Amino acid sequence: MNVSALTHSELGFRLGKAGIFIQTGSFITHLQTSIPGVAEGIGLLYADYPLLEQADFADFHVSLAPPRNLRRWFKPQVLFFFDGHPPFKPLPLDQAFPMFEWGLNWCVSSQANRYLIIHAAVVEKGGHAAILPAPPGSGKSTLCAALVNRGWRLLSDELALVRVSDGKIVPLPRPVSLKNESIDIIQQYEPDAVLSRKVSDTMKGTVAHMKVPAESIARAAETCRAAWVIFPKYQAGAAARLEALPQARAFMRVADNAFNYSLLGVKGFEAMAGLIDASLCYDFTYSVLDEAIETFAVLKPPAI
Amino acid sequence: MWQAISGDALHIRFWNDEFVVYNSLSGDTHLLGASAAHILLKLQHTASDVATLAASLASLMQAEMDDEFLSQTEQLLAGLGKLALIEHS
Repeated sequence: MNVSALTHSELGFRLGKAGIFIQTGSFITHLQTSIPGVAEGIGLLYADYPLLEQADFADFHVSLAPPRNLRRWFKPQVLFFFDGHPPFKPLPLDQAFPMFEWGLNWCVSSQANRYLIIHAAVVEKGGHAAILPAPPGSGKSTLCAALVNRGWRLLSDELALVRVSDGKIVPLPRPVSLKNESIDIIQQYEPDAVLSRKVSDTMKGTVAHMKVPAESIARAAETCRAAWVIFPKYQAGAAARLEALPQARAFMRVADNAFNYSLLGVKGFEAMAGLIDASLCYDFTYSVLDEAIETFAVLKPPAI
Repeated sequence: MWQAISGDALHIRFWNDEFVVYNSLSGDTHLLGASAAHILLKLQHTASDVATLAASLASLMQAEMDDEFLSQTEQLLAGLGKLALIEHS
């Protein structure tokens, strides 16, 4: 049973009472909230995710609720709770759904240390994964959104999970986070893309989230191997250009983009080395999404 | 005399002529060129002095072993020392 099996009112009611258990990739999240904006976002963007009716376990128990102070009457706010504790300061109530997404990213990146976790988008085609590590502002999510609307499977928009035990990439397909100009760019690029309503004045500017194609969610248990590590960089007016990057340098840059590389110690080093061993590494500059799609379409996987 | 830091602390992988070294004592990861890596690998094997290391490096690089080369080798050793990958024995 998927979230879409519930009517809007049933979803709101369940969220407000005991909460719901949603499966996202290999994680089960127990979410409880009475905030309508979160229910709206879940109903729109999580419709195709499995809803677990008899769950007696969750990786993450999260809830969102207004702080118990007087501000609720004039400038309402929202707090994100993990295991009953708020790890972050409150945000304006209007940002409740983005806060859920950011909070869930934090849950994974701070807890799931059976994976080497890289701040990167990951997409897959033909059994080969392309890892796109990049700092904010590089156009990573825009490129990722375009790729998944042109036949690539989404493994993750934010968190590449490299399983330490075998080096495989474990999918975590969750809504793609778009910011500022990227929101309209993707809406124009793929008019059928489903986007949440825009939320303005967040710490990242204006944000909206794009719904993940149902096929990516249905295949969320299907792991794969990395074939490419590609550092994307949006540069206005630039022609699409792929430049080979020496693997040792790619290692250092991916390590800089990893959340728990240092925490994992030697295991992190070995997992990273395995990832780099298996991958062709590139810097990629682009400005036109169609050119980027064409470049990715002719990527050749490494010879085995 | 110089030697590599103790035991199994150093983990080394290389791609083409660049080396990545993980030091499990410090938790730091370093990118080394071929010359520095050659010295480190030598010192992992056995403790050695500057002159011996310079001669080995000169042979590898097919370079002339002169005062300038010796000085450059000393600088490489000092750099590896600063990274806490090698130490005086």
